Amino acid sequence: MTTQHAEEAQQAGEHAADAAHGAEEGFNAGEVIIEHVSNSSLDHPIIHLPHIAGIDFSVTKHVMMIWLVAGFLFLVITMATRAYLKQERRIPTGFMNGLEWLVQSIRDSIVLPNVGAKFVNTWTPLMLTLFVFILACNVVGLIPMFATLGMVDRFVLGNSPESESLINSVLHGGTTATANYNVTAALATITFFSIMIAGTMAHGFVKHWKNLVPSGLAKPVYALLIPIELMGMFVKPFALTMRLAANMTGGHIAILSILSLVFLFAEIFASAAVGIGVGVTLVLPLAVGISALEIIVVMVQAYVFTLLTSVFIGMAINVHH
Amino acid sequence: MDNPLVQPDPGLFIWTILTFLILLGLLAKFAWAPLLKALDERQATIRKSLDDADAAQQELAQLQEKSAQLIAEARAEGQSIVAKSRAAAEVVREDLHQKAKTEAAAMVQAAERQIQQETARAIQQIRHEVVDLSLSVASKLIKKNLTAEDNDALIQDSLIQIDASRPS
Repeated sequence: MTTQHAEEAQQAGEHAADAAHGAEEGFNAGEVIIEHVSNSSLDHPIIHLPHIAGIDFSVTKHVMMIWLVAGFLFLVITMATRAYLKQERRIPTGFMNGLEWLVQSIRDSIVLPNVGAKFVNTWTPLMLTLFVFILACNVVGLIPMFATLGMVDRFVLGNSPESESLINSVLHGGTTATANYNVTAALATITFFSIMIAGTMAHGFVKHWKNLVPSGLAKPVYALLIPIELMGMFVKPFALTMRLAANMTGGHIAILSILSLVFLFAEIFASAAVGIGVGVTLVLPLAVGISALEIIVVMVQAYVFTLLTSVFIGMAINVHH
Repeated sequence: MDNPLVQPDPGLFIWTILTFLILLGLLAKFAWAPLLKALDERQATIRKSLDDADAAQQELAQLQEKSAQLIAEARAEGQSIVAKSRAAAEVVREDLHQKAKTEAAAMVQAAERQIQQETARAIQQIRHEVVDLSLSVASKLIKKNLTAEDNDALIQDSLIQIDASRPS
């Protein structure tokens, strides 16, 4: 591969560096794609941190992403809220209108119908935070901002891919933290414990566990039912974990696979012109289409995670047997 | 497991939980709780102002009704005052009329009486003059022709005639 190919790579909106890097041993689509959807390696974290109790707390790409997202959300939402609350006559304008719509619709159409009027104000903050956090993580993954940074690093600053520059250190790994099942498992763990806390708050600790199975059934039925319900307790968050992570990973793999066609065709025909031709006629429309689909998917997945968490918490509070 | 897609990463797991819980705490304290409160407050404010507007409208309607009633009352009162004064004026007019009538009647009566008196006096005067005239004429005639007996008889006749012709 030549530098021409590398330039083409930046046109496709992804790391030029990896394409150029792959020039020596040929383009390996699988490797490139995995590199873009997985976390950066624990062996080369952004910030090295000591192991505590055998756990590596080093700041990898996805840790950085959740910090960036959390910081961004905190600043934007808190600042908008404070500006709004400071007003003498509280008239929501601009961004505040959207935020208010979000707060109200999550409270009134997600939390209220599931959790019930008694605990709606207890659980709305959790649902709001879950929704904005997941949505922001999902959306950030759709923006090729690190690819743009990489281009600036290579072609404006002229650093080599192997250099130890700050920009270079944050380029490795995917940007979608919610595509990593460790992250989604952590969020689902929050859901898991929220269900227990909700049930305990509503019925007391013992009653909550008794509520897992309907009362007044024959003894042999319980022998079957109790293991099933205990399994269900863990299946719920597991399903949440896998649904979100798989959806986020899948969309990115689809986009990246299509983008890889540019380089595969260029390599097969040993001609940059063919690659560009395929890119313009086939790859670009497909990639744009799938990206549009992804915009829907990121919103739906954030909504589904929030909704299901509400439903599970509601089930622990309003027991119907 | 070599596949980085399914690489367990407890560090990331714990970081995510910590980050999320901190974000949840901060946002709940600084954004969600005040926002939810503000939303409820505004809902209450809107409900209250709508209620107030309704109440004000009702009050306005009541006031309008009351003022219409007052206007009607005032009009009725004015009409009754006019009617009353008209009646009073009628009474006064009738009174004056009556007085004038009796006065006029009294005046006419007085005039009639005076006329009668004057007439009676005039007749008396005329009678005296007629007697005097007759006497002088008679005496002139008698001086020439009659005797003393004839004279007496003539006087008696004349007196009887005059008495007969006197209006009763």
